[in-house]
Amino acid sequence: MWRLNAVRHKAGRQGSDLEEFKFKRRAHEKELRRARKDSKLVSKILLLNDDENEEDGTMDTLASDQVLELFKMVCQGRDLVKKEADLRALRKALRSPSAHLVLIRQQSSIAILVTNLRGPSPQCRLEAVRCLHELSQSPHSEVDSWRLRQATPYLITFISGQSPKFTELCLYTLGNMCPDSENVRNILLAQGIIPALNSCIQIHRTNLAVVEAVGFTLSQLISANYVTGRIIPAVLASGLIPHLLSVLTPVLTPDSQFGLGPVIECAWCLHYLACSNVDNGALVAQGTLLRCTSLLVTLGGAVAKGSIEEGMELLIWPLLRCVGNLLLSGPLGALQPQLNDSRLLAALCAFPQAFLQTHPALARESVWVLNNLTSAAAADSSVFCSALFYLNLVPVLIQLLPFSHGINIMVLRVLGNIAHQGREYCLHLAQAGLLPALCATLKMADPEVVTFSLEVLGQLVASDPQLAEEFVRQSGLPVLEAIQYSNQETIRLRAKHLLEHHLPPHCTVDTSASP
Amino acid sequence: MFGRIENEDSIDTKVGFSPGSLFSSFTSQDREAKLTFTFIPHQILLNKDHEFFEDGDIHRHLYLQNLSTCPVYDSPTARQCEFRCHISGCSQVFSTVEEYEHHYNTLHRHMCSSCQRSLPSARLLDIHIQEWHDSLFSILAERQDMYQCLVEGCSLKFRTREQRKDHMIKIHQYPSDFMFDKAKRIKKINIANKNRQQKGTSMEVSMSGSEPEDVCQVLSDQPEEEEYMELNHSLEPAHHKPTETTAQQRETLLQVSIYFKSQMAHYFLHGAPHDSNVFPLDLQSMCNDPECIH
Repeated sequence: MWRLNAVRHKAGRQGSDLEEFKFKRRAHEKELRRARKDSKLVSKILLLNDDENEEDGTMDTLASDQVLELFKMVCQGRDLVKKEADLRALRKALRSPSAHLVLIRQQSSIAILVTNLRGPSPQCRLEAVRCLHELSQSPHSEVDSWRLRQATPYLITFISGQSPKFTELCLYTLGNMCPDSENVRNILLAQGIIPALNSCIQIHRTNLAVVEAVGFTLSQLISANYVTGRIIPAVLASGLIPHLLSVLTPVLTPDSQFGLGPVIECAWCLHYLACSNVDNGALVAQGTLLRCTSLLVTLGGAVAKGSIEEGMELLIWPLLRCVGNLLLSGPLGALQPQLNDSRLLAALCAFPQAFLQTHPALARESVWVLNNLTSAAAADSSVFCSALFYLNLVPVLIQLLPFSHGINIMVLRVLGNIAHQGREYCLHLAQAGLLPALCATLKMADPEVVTFSLEVLGQLVASDPQLAEEFVRQSGLPVLEAIQYSNQETIRLRAKHLLEHHLPPHCTVDTSASP
Repeated sequence: MFGRIENEDSIDTKVGFSPGSLFSSFTSQDREAKLTFTFIPHQILLNKDHEFFEDGDIHRHLYLQNLSTCPVYDSPTARQCEFRCHISGCSQVFSTVEEYEHHYNTLHRHMCSSCQRSLPSARLLDIHIQEWHDSLFSILAERQDMYQCLVEGCSLKFRTREQRKDHMIKIHQYPSDFMFDKAKRIKKINIANKNRQQKGTSMEVSMSGSEPEDVCQVLSDQPEEEEYMELNHSLEPAHHKPTETTAQQRETLLQVSIYFKSQMAHYFLHGAPHDSNVFPLDLQSMCNDPECIH
């Protein structure tokens, strides 16, 4: 698998190179965050070619007249062997971005490349698609996918073909073109990219590199901004879903060359489909929820044992999101058959424990899924709430309460959902040690945390006077009294209500004097 | 009442709580609870562009752009929540519960609701309220021993603050520079004023020289704080009147009030005397308080 292999090379960096790498990465990350906020988060893939792996170092950047010279030779050449060599030279020249501008400004340059793309020589086709591939991921905005649109009908046709390497290049080229413009996507849709992807994934289902490329291209197609209303329904109707799901096999001994790449790409496709909420019922009906939860269970088991593979979080992330959103596709009771493995709950608690320090956002999303399981209609969610106690998972959740990044708020939601189930649940929560934990969260700086803590506490002490007494024994009263001086009225009101109605002795302070 | 809220774009806290399941009847308490507590369990649907998903998306794109793995990981780690003092106007932040609790116990516990001063214990708070905010106290103190010894377990009372202080120094071996009943101020501006006001009544004048130091100690949270009876973190309290009146004036006022009461009683029982000028004149001649309204 081209990507993880390449990354392993980078992992070998040492010393000052590493610092520079980290610095660049941090800067890059900032750029990506800004891009996401502007809804412009786009990535393009550049495949490395085999002959480039052998070569060392960077190419000499050719001067523009040299590039033009190469191009002229490509145009003129009749001898196919020579033409192939010329195309190869041009392709290597295109590794340097400045050459892109030279070529794109040359009249009919794309037409010439397309001629070679559909020409009789397989080698010329390969080199031509490589040239187009270089152009498709150009950093220059002038070299946009609209300029390359002449190539798309051929690229789409070829992905239903048989040669894996060629197909892979066509796929990544198309995938790079998808995010650029709405117009290009409309053209691709009209030219039948979706049925082509469908047949491609079936033809090449044993070739993991191609499967990964299909996943990538599809994810680019459906995640692009301003996705038209037509793309996702077309995907849902195309029959692609079962094939994507078949890639998500819970096999955790990844091919050493390919790693988790194909599974990751297909999982991200499913996430984009589920969060668009176009027809999640159809997704569920085709077994998406079942397959995603099984894979999460397998991953959870591995994580709990401590065997965390490189890149595993890239797979866990989209699966969590897919499951989280699919839980709203219908009444939770109706989804029961797909959710009858209680180990899912254990997995959802294992992920935060394992990834808390490295990926706190993943921990938060994992607890979000727990929220969606425990907050449906009372009768439907009660089984999940009970299971959390039965599997002794509540203490795990309580241990997450000190952590920010939205983690403690989401945990408090889940605990509030459980408390809401009734008195028995509240008693169990108290047994698990929730009251002293709430005494701590009530002192936290974030007013949202304090508000949620008061809500959960309110539920507990209102459900049984024993719990109110226990709270007082845990020295909770002074905490509430302190809260009555808070500058947030919503917080003061809740604290006051608890002190007045549910907690002995009644100690209220006249809060009207507070500023 | 449990909601399935679809297409919710943000995870806001404003979601409803229905205690209906807990309360069997619709009392006004329930109605109040329904307005105060608003959490309802509900599922949350998130679209792909939600900020909740930001970190995961960034991670994916770093991976696509070949920058994701690094031997020494550099991304945001989970932070432990900070603790904040809730007292309005304080808002100090702490990284551990212990620090917060020490701060709270030192500066905000046992707070007098009249003047916002914080006392070290409930007992001292009671004494403070009695001595400073009970309007009858100074009047009664003229006639009987009202100033309690501050030491727990010692039930002796004294006629004046001075006597109490002497007792505590001699019998309980308190240092003479112990801040017996002088208010400490965080804001330096008020020190001078306080000195002037207290001049007539106490021997704290001698300690005024050490004032700036004390203020600094209060500000820097040194253990010496524990010695201080009162810590004031606000400006001159609204309700506290400086004791400007002399002992003689207080005696007069006491007599006036007794007299006035008996006069009124007489009025009500027997009707006013025809010569009603007698009444006001008597009071005016007796009262030496420049602020007397009569």
